[in-house]
Amino acid sequence: MANVLWLQGGACSGNTMSFLNAEEPTVVELITDFGLNILWHPTTGLQIGDQVQELLKDILAGKIQMDILVYEGSLIEGPNKTGTMNYFADRPMMDWIKELSAVAGYVVAIGDCATWGGIPAVAPNPSESTGLQFHKKAKGGFLGADYVSKGGLPVINIPGCPAHPDWITQILVAISIGRIGDVLIDEYHRPKTFFTDFVQDGCTNVTNFAQKVDGGFGTRGGCLFYEVGCRGPMTRASCNNILWNRQSSKTRSNHPCLGCTEPGFPHNDLMKGSVFKTMKYMGVFPKEVPTGQSKLSYYIEAGFQKIKPSNKKIKETSI
Amino acid sequence: MSTIKELNISPVGRVEGDLDVKVYIDNGKVTRAHTQAAMFRGFEKIMEGKDPQSGLIVTPRICGICGGSHLYCASSALDTAWGTKLPPNALLLRAIGQATETIQSIPRWFYAIFATDLANKKYANQPLYAEVVKRWSAYVGESFQKGLTASGLPVQVYALFGGQWPHSSYMVPGGVMCAPTLKDITRAHAIMVQFKNDWLEPIWLGCTIERYMEIKSWDDMLAWVEENDSHKNSDLGLLIRAGIEFGLDKFGQGVGKFLATGTYLHKDMYNTPTIDGRNEALISSSGFFDGENWHEFDHLKVSEDVKHSWYDNQKDGLHPWDEPLPTPAKSQPLHETDFDGQYSWSKSPRYDGHACETGPLARVIMNANPNNKDHQIKDPLFGDIMKKMGPSVFTRVLARVHEAPRLYKFIEQWLSEIDLNAEFYIKPVEKDGKGFGATEAARGALAHWIEIKDGVIKNYQVMAPTTWNVGPNDGKGNPGPIESALTGIEIEDPSDPVEVGIVARSFDSCLVCTVHAHDEKSGVELSKFKL
Repeated sequence: MANVLWLQGGACSGNTMSFLNAEEPTVVELITDFGLNILWHPTTGLQIGDQVQELLKDILAGKIQMDILVYEGSLIEGPNKTGTMNYFADRPMMDWIKELSAVAGYVVAIGDCATWGGIPAVAPNPSESTGLQFHKKAKGGFLGADYVSKGGLPVINIPGCPAHPDWITQILVAISIGRIGDVLIDEYHRPKTFFTDFVQDGCTNVTNFAQKVDGGFGTRGGCLFYEVGCRGPMTRASCNNILWNRQSSKTRSNHPCLGCTEPGFPHNDLMKGSVFKTMKYMGVFPKEVPTGQSKLSYYIEAGFQKIKPSNKKIKETSI
Repeated sequence: MSTIKELNISPVGRVEGDLDVKVYIDNGKVTRAHTQAAMFRGFEKIMEGKDPQSGLIVTPRICGICGGSHLYCASSALDTAWGTKLPPNALLLRAIGQATETIQSIPRWFYAIFATDLANKKYANQPLYAEVVKRWSAYVGESFQKGLTASGLPVQVYALFGGQWPHSSYMVPGGVMCAPTLKDITRAHAIMVQFKNDWLEPIWLGCTIERYMEIKSWDDMLAWVEENDSHKNSDLGLLIRAGIEFGLDKFGQGVGKFLATGTYLHKDMYNTPTIDGRNEALISSSGFFDGENWHEFDHLKVSEDVKHSWYDNQKDGLHPWDEPLPTPAKSQPLHETDFDGQYSWSKSPRYDGHACETGPLARVIMNANPNNKDHQIKDPLFGDIMKKMGPSVFTRVLARVHEAPRLYKFIEQWLSEIDLNAEFYIKPVEKDGKGFGATEAARGALAHWIEIKDGVIKNYQVMAPTTWNVGPNDGKGNPGPIESALTGIEIEDPSDPVEVGIVARSFDSCLVCTVHAHDEKSGVELSKFKL
């Protein structure tokens, strides 16, 4: 049994939509079978207007226990740190979050905007958006590097644009069944159980990657790392182990990984030549190489593979 | 004795995003309403100076509910700017993406956002109330869980081609990223059949899709309800009976003018994308309906007013290509807002000077246009319903759910038309220029305008359905569609103004609301009602 309050700041509601896709458990099962009591949610909440304000005030006064505060969307501080570009329930959202985070059992940031600012924080960051406890790669964010919730943990970050529904529901279940102690987090406060594997682990094109066979849009087979900017080898997420919508993943559908579970997404701040193009030195050497490899060793290995005469596309010519 | 009061609702909730509304109430009846969009992120500003394809990544993330629709627009805008060639497969797969997102939204919106309000105590003494509560109560209603779970199925099909839903970027200028194989197509068919068998036919219609699609007039619809218990007791049957019993056809009329930008570009009619060739190539037609007559849609007749929007350095009445990127002005919380001045982050889009409602009702009105071509949807039903009943909360909701059977048939047809041996993508040549792309998101007309200069984005303007519907007064003082639809409604219990929520939710706004009311006589704010 756990009381959950879910709020949205500079949000697109994409994480909520993702959450509503959940199966095992479905959102309804979370409530009926796992004892999650959603105090209010912007998309499904029944209370209206002052009823919501009263609820928030009762939580702050300690009359209602809030075990989990789920936050979706960036924390908008603009203009000039006033937060008035995002009013919620008649106050700047940032003022509510400051106070609610002080009484929350655990704070869970869902999606890139809440974790480290996301797209709204891309330069020039017109809304002065930041994440709850990180700003891009830098620890701090809105609540500060030292923040811990009443339960003794910093903000639990579930990144992704959006986060996968399982990443969200399993962490909520872990808290509600008392296994929060098993949720280990990495340097970016991501639960290791979901963010240790790389997106490339389980990618159906991993053979083509190993043999340096290029892919591209609208074709079958071939690796997307070389020409269209796939970030699968540099991105920690379980997208190819726990599939999306039960069916697929970006890379399985020939869509380059955008690296959306790593701080800094969208990478290179969308500069010219960075969108669906692999950025290279001298038009040959990729500027970023798989995590864990030095550039030199990668270039040597890739060079050998490229010139080996036996390598040709193991093309899925079969339709 | 007349008493005018001010009512404040912040937030209304179950509208996506942040919206405030102020209403003046005289003897329980709303005499004036103002909508206030309360959140600013500046996505258009973020894209300035960035890679021309940035919109493919950024714009789907404006809205997680209609991300596929934004992608449809963003890729189309680049297609027209770059002069790409589009293979038929690409047009089919884009249309399937758009259609699966929209059909997903029908049960998700109906159960999670709209129908729970009909279980409100306001309707407790209506004969059908017990049945409505049993089916549609949040979380525990019999149909709520089935409908919500089934809503995840169509976007599984989206994921087969786009990798995931929400937030894929698989539609790119020149086509699509994917090159599906037979197993993807067969699986997609199977998932859609499951959606039909789990929800669409047994729970929603109580009959076959084919039987439902025989309905051509309001009289046909009423006869269909009474035809047998299966129809009568389906969720659609209950919606029609309860909707009329609860009087949903009696309020929330709106401005009575409708705009659709249309969608589903025909696979063989838009292989050389141009702005001028777009209207002809649409399967779900575009248009402007002035209340009596249909007019051809011309994107150059679209403009935005900003007199009441929190933006500086902009004139009223500019076409999106001529609009500057946003310069945010100082905003206020609702209780400090002067509604004669700037009061919303939303702008006020106008078509040929008119405030227009956009959304499923606008779409089905365009489908009833007698001038539609043979490749376009021809469905007279809502021409008839508009004549007999006019717009209302009920008409709007009926229009939304009416699309589900037809979309199902389209998705099946388009899947069957994919040629696995043909191409999916033709690599375009990048160049500077201006582009326009549009579609119909589940909740209405969506359009993007782009200008590329020196190889980067110089200007990007997005006009979303909610901007059309929820925008504030224009420069001439004319209200936006939701402001207009709220005017005249009766609020039975100011401590639970569910009527305001029902009207706002019937538009499926992408916003979160605050409603506000004043003592107009003294000009002094009354102490707030406890809502």
